[in-house]
Amino acid sequence: MDAIPLTRNFLVNNQLRWHGMTTGIIERPRFLCALGGALSTLNALPGAVPIIHASSGCGGNIYQAYNGGAGYLGSGYCGGLALPSSNVYEEEIVFGGENRLAEQIANTLKVVDGELYFVVTGCMTEMIGDDARAVASRFRDQGLPVLVADTGGFRGNSYQGYDIILQTLFRDFVARTSCQENKTLNLWGIVPGQDVFWKGNLQSLKTLLGNLGYQVNTFFGEGETLANLQNAARATLNIVVSDTYGIGAAKVFAEVHGVPYISVPLPIGPTATGQFLRTVGATLEIASKFVERLIRIEEDRYYSYYERLADIYNDIDLQRYAIVLGDANYAPALARFLADDLGWLPELAVVTDILDEHDRELVRQRFQDFQSGIQPRVVFDSNASRVAGYLNEYWLRNRGQRYYDALSPAFVLGSIYDRDLAETLGAAHLSVTFPVTNRIVLDRSYAGYSGGLRLTEDILSVLVAGR
Amino acid sequence: MDYIKQKTPPVREDRLRACNAFGGTCCDLVGASRSGCLYGLKRAFAQTYTCQLGLSLAILNTLRDAVIIIHGPIGCGGSNIANAGLAKNLQRLRDPRARGLIWLSTNLTEIDAIRGGEDKLKEAIWYAEREFRPRAIIIVNSCVPALIGDDIDGLVEGLQKEVSATIVPVHCPGFKAKIMASAYDAVYHGALRNLVKAPAYYDRVLPDDLEELKEKYSRSRTVNLLNVSSMSRQDELELTRLLQALDLKVNLLPCYAHPDSFEDATEAALSVSICPTHDDYFIGHLQAKYGIPFILRTIPLGIKHTSAWLLDIARFFGLEKEAQQLIAEETRQLQEALAPYRQVLQGKRAFIGGGEIRVGATAALLQELGMEVLGLRIYHYDHFADEIYDELNGKETMVVNVATSQPFEQANLLAKLKPDIYLGHVGLNGWAAKQGIPVCPVYGVNNLYMGYAGMFEIARRLVRILKNPSFNRNLAAHTRLPYFAKWYQENPFAYIDNNVLTGNK
Ligand code: SF4
Repeated sequence: MDAIPLTRNFLVNNQLRWHGMTTGIIERPRFLCALGGALSTLNALPGAVPIIHASSGCGGNIYQAYNGGAGYLGSGYCGGLALPSSNVYEEEIVFGGENRLAEQIANTLKVVDGELYFVVTGCMTEMIGDDARAVASRFRDQGLPVLVADTGGFRGNSYQGYDIILQTLFRDFVARTSCQENKTLNLWGIVPGQDVFWKGNLQSLKTLLGNLGYQVNTFFGEGETLANLQNAARATLNIVVSDTYGIGAAKVFAEVHGVPYISVPLPIGPTATGQFLRTVGATLEIASKFVERLIRIEEDRYYSYYERLADIYNDIDLQRYAIVLGDANYAPALARFLADDLGWLPELAVVTDILDEHDRELVRQRFQDFQSGIQPRVVFDSNASRVAGYLNEYWLRNRGQRYYDALSPAFVLGSIYDRDLAETLGAAHLSVTFPVTNRIVLDRSYAGYSGGLRLTEDILSVLVAGR
Repeated sequence: MDYIKQKTPPVREDRLRACNAFGGTCCDLVGASRSGCLYGLKRAFAQTYTCQLGLSLAILNTLRDAVIIIHGPIGCGGSNIANAGLAKNLQRLRDPRARGLIWLSTNLTEIDAIRGGEDKLKEAIWYAEREFRPRAIIIVNSCVPALIGDDIDGLVEGLQKEVSATIVPVHCPGFKAKIMASAYDAVYHGALRNLVKAPAYYDRVLPDDLEELKEKYSRSRTVNLLNVSSMSRQDELELTRLLQALDLKVNLLPCYAHPDSFEDATEAALSVSICPTHDDYFIGHLQAKYGIPFILRTIPLGIKHTSAWLLDIARFFGLEKEAQQLIAEETRQLQEALAPYRQVLQGKRAFIGGGEIRVGATAALLQELGMEVLGLRIYHYDHFADEIYDELNGKETMVVNVATSQPFEQANLLAKLKPDIYLGHVGLNGWAAKQGIPVCPVYGVNNLYMGYAGMFEIARRLVRILKNPSFNRNLAAHTRLPYFAKWYQENPFAYIDNNVLTGNK
């Protein structure tokens, strides 16, 4: 087939470009396209029914990726192979797919029971210049709950897809209001699916802030409803648990609804969670005595369990060198937990996202202030097999010396891809960052205090598994 | 058959007039197929499925000592993520040193869509060559490069001289094929153009007539056994066992094969398919180009089809009598072993979903076990299945729904038919489960299904699953499917666009 010239529409609409980001080839990527992130996000939104405007394979492909990669996330209410999709083929690619989309939306409204229908596009329909917005707005104008976002693969990866969906919800779904509820917060920045433990993590943080006396909307967590989301503009503060994910959406929220945001790192374990509470407390101007009391209670509880480890940790020497691999949220969070709470030596941290220099700098700083004084070496690389190369550069190889300071005993904390690395290093391994195909994940959380306990259990269990 | 000179193979809806939108009885289906008026491909409401790229990967990912390059935007081929861990273990069942699944994405962006993606593809090929030194580099071509017109074959031709791995382009852009099974042809097309060739022989330094005779004899007794990616290692071993009992040798391909096995394929005495709709393209070309005859009829599932499959092969080698003996003995032992299971399964009502050949033969197998088959759902239909479906008992009332996935049609059918057990395919099992029906998957990469041993395992599995259906029953009590109640009152095929003449071509 001859090349079809790209339409102007496609070029003009495309605002979110991969500016300054690495756009090279990637070996075994740890994320999908914007459509992927959009679908995993919508799948987590209660009552939402996505309608894909793309070729037949995009939806099924994305489902398989997240089902397997996110600890067997499953199809959920209307995900997986049940995802309504226009399934455009060559005819539509040549003649345009808008009629097919209109037909698909109309019939989805007849067959599928949802509270909110959300049209998301793939790269092909955008390239040929289909105006999904115009088609969807015909339904919206009739008062039907149909939203739309351009999420074609070119608009970035899963993380951008998450941001695009949130932006659209904040702009077109969250009701404008003048009434503020002092004790209500919104919290996001944890990407469903890409964060394999998203639901548990959201729940932990919600409970934690609840202890400070706040009602928290997480949109995707337990017990959330679309009504909560619709009323989200009543909150006094938006907390983005990320330096990079959902920041665009936070800006839109501030612009449209006037609610400010703070961006905080994902807290895992007592050291980071203490900081998290202090930052949030200070922003909300909560009396520090109150915050410190909460921290003390939580730490007491935490150490009542850690006390048990005094024996085994020291009897068999459970300290390890560690290599940490994960996205911009997880890599610093895990490294900090290992260094500051578990007393380990995270030597190398690999941030596996595609980030621009500005975001890289933000992430780099998160590795600077570990309480333990440990400073892992930080690299940014999305290629799965490259890590061994970095290690060689930095940890001297044994050149046949009799006395050699080996990177051992070691532990690889990363994704399933990194099991190979662990195998080569003779290190232990646990998958916690996407993709995680060798574990089933339900409500497990690694965030907060109890999350730190869970992660400790999981990591140390690997080390005693042979006993 | 000769499509090999073309860069890309034709899609199934054109080559075979395959259909993926139909609802009716089994009898109607076969009738329509035989009279050439079965070509529904459209729905006015549709759900996602997998594209031919996804299905191509299912096969290509299994190849040992190969690196896959997915030429497209970052999301295409993301399904590989789910197989990243498993693929290595499965490859290692065949070769303990296998490296596992390695793939690259060319990560096409909008700028590449404007300028063309060829430079990045070149970069990816070099990366694969440098980092992994594989025997083969497989380029899987997705929608975007097909749309912008990247000249992949031209690029490969230029680069092949400099790269030691054999580069294999596979053209499988999703939007080109409605029939997902076009993937089989796309994969075989790539293999036929680049991996299949007569191996080079060197003269012996010291001639050895006896050795040469032995080799010749061995080749005359070797069959290419064409496996499918939905088969387990246990299945392969069971079929190999049966062929070895006839003193035949087996060259297994394409799945989990080393790229070199494709060279060996040109020397076998016979090619044997276990799924006609999977292999006709490959087997037809092997015959046309290398004169290798083939058997392409059925899948060795259940007594009837396993025996027919075995007899076809034996007949070719003049071993019919020996095969009859083998079949009689195998069947006797199996029937004896099945007796207690039959008692439980007798009269149980089943519904089956999956690929046309596997589903048809599974239906026959369940009938052999004394079960009743209420209905079938199949991804696509083409003439290869006519014989199998025509021979099913009760075909006059048995419901058939041809649909690539489309779980909304399944939900409607299951609600009406209320089977005692559902046998289905990955991605669709969960939906049946939420309706409270016990589910037995129709395949599994770690389960035995084929041959005589497979039938015993299926019976055993069915009885076990039926013993405690609590999990799915509880699910049904606490979850719901996403369709309006009124959908279940409608005709399950209401959204199939029957107006094919105006709708399609
Ligand atoms: S863009 Fe095309 S090739 Fe890629 S997943 Fe979608 S349908 Fe398949």
